[in-house]
Amino acid sequence: MHRRNLFANFASDNPSAPKSTFKPHPASLGASHFTNALLRTHENKEVKFYDDLIKGRQVIINTMYANCKGACPLITSKLIKVHNALKDRMGKDLFIYSITLKPEQDDPAAIKMFAEMHGAANMPGWLFLTGDPYDIETIRFRLFRWEHIKFDLDLDLHAGMLRIINDATNCWTNVSPDASMFTILEHISWADPPKSLEQRMEENKAIQERINKEVKQYGYRRTT
Amino acid sequence: MKRRTFFFSMISLCLAAPLAAFGQKGCEPDVEPHRHFLVLAGRSGMFYDKSGPAFPMLIKLDGGRTQIDAIGIYFIQGNRLFGPVPEEVYQEFMKEPRAASDVMLRLEITSAQYERCLKVLRTWERRAREGALLYPNVFMDNILLVKQVTESLDQCGEKINLYKLDWGFEDKISDDNPPPRIPFLFFKEMRRLNETLHVRDEKFQEYRSAAAKP
Repeated sequence: MHRRNLFANFASDNPSAPKSTFKPHPASLGASHFTNALLRTHENKEVKFYDDLIKGRQVIINTMYANCKGACPLITSKLIKVHNALKDRMGKDLFIYSITLKPEQDDPAAIKMFAEMHGAANMPGWLFLTGDPYDIETIRFRLFRWEHIKFDLDLDLHAGMLRIINDATNCWTNVSPDASMFTILEHISWADPPKSLEQRMEENKAIQERINKEVKQYGYRRTT
Repeated sequence: MKRRTFFFSMISLCLAAPLAAFGQKGCEPDVEPHRHFLVLAGRSGMFYDKSGPAFPMLIKLDGGRTQIDAIGIYFIQGNRLFGPVPEEVYQEFMKEPRAASDVMLRLEITSAQYERCLKVLRTWERRAREGALLYPNVFMDNILLVKQVTESLDQCGEKINLYKLDWGFEDKISDDNPPPRIPFLFFKEMRRLNETLHVRDEKFQEYRSAAAKP
């Protein structure tokens, strides 16, 4: 056996080597909460909601519908800005899912047209989703409910929320899509995977150097 | 009859039939071959929070056969459960209550109303079976169920007086009471609003006997 093959075999057989990059947190609510409903993407591919889209991933989820004349186009254009700001991570460890609120009307072709209209159809890590109305309603209530029947039956209120989940750290948060880009990115970062000690020390060192420089230059700390 | 008059009367006859059908907006005729009923049944004071079983029940008298579907919150051996109500539980609520702690409203509905209500019940039955309830608190699910069932009655402008259970400012039942008590109080209010439409036991028995006759 060649040395190269021996090394490759050793690496692939090593049980400690990570087989999948997406591992859920032990306390993740799992498929029983998120459901493993079969949904269809704007590319007409069938996906299982938890196993294929949520499990072990950090995701941003919003709701929309194709013939929406109100907030959906504005929210989608805000998400394009978010995607551009975080494009190095998109499709690798961060994903955006836009789920239709009107699955009776929105087949994969309709949501594809909506995605294309906003220039979001081919953005890495961004899927537009439709499915059976029963499953979509379950997912909508599981992710966006307000524990208030009037609000929960109002589709517009559910459209006015970005749900951010990191299943690998079991972290949930949400932010209004009307918030500033800074606020939205800050909320997304709250669900980021924890950084290594070396990385945090590196960042702290850079902040300290900046503070020292300010104190030397102005006599007091300007950075908050 | 002149030819022109004959021509116009034929035209108006041809137009009248589809227009009359269109005017009904797909609503059902009054005369029904079978009888259908919606029963809203509840009891209070069974549990520590003064709540009790509360569920909608659909009855179809179809010749000698009686089909009953009931789903909601019920009690078995002190346990509160949400799902299809077993026969021994719903049989207790087939007759008008004598105690003030019980409430029952029995409305005769059309086959179209019955089908709409049954669709709602079947969806919730599926949700209960598959563990796909919408709220972690089953009382909220029960409120949503009774709201959807009763609101499905009024889609064709029927004459049922509906209390709007929408958690809005004018909905005093939801505003002033905890979720476990809401369906019972809602049924009480619905009974008050629809007293004249309530089908009494004697009348219901008449219908049952008549339906059973070959």
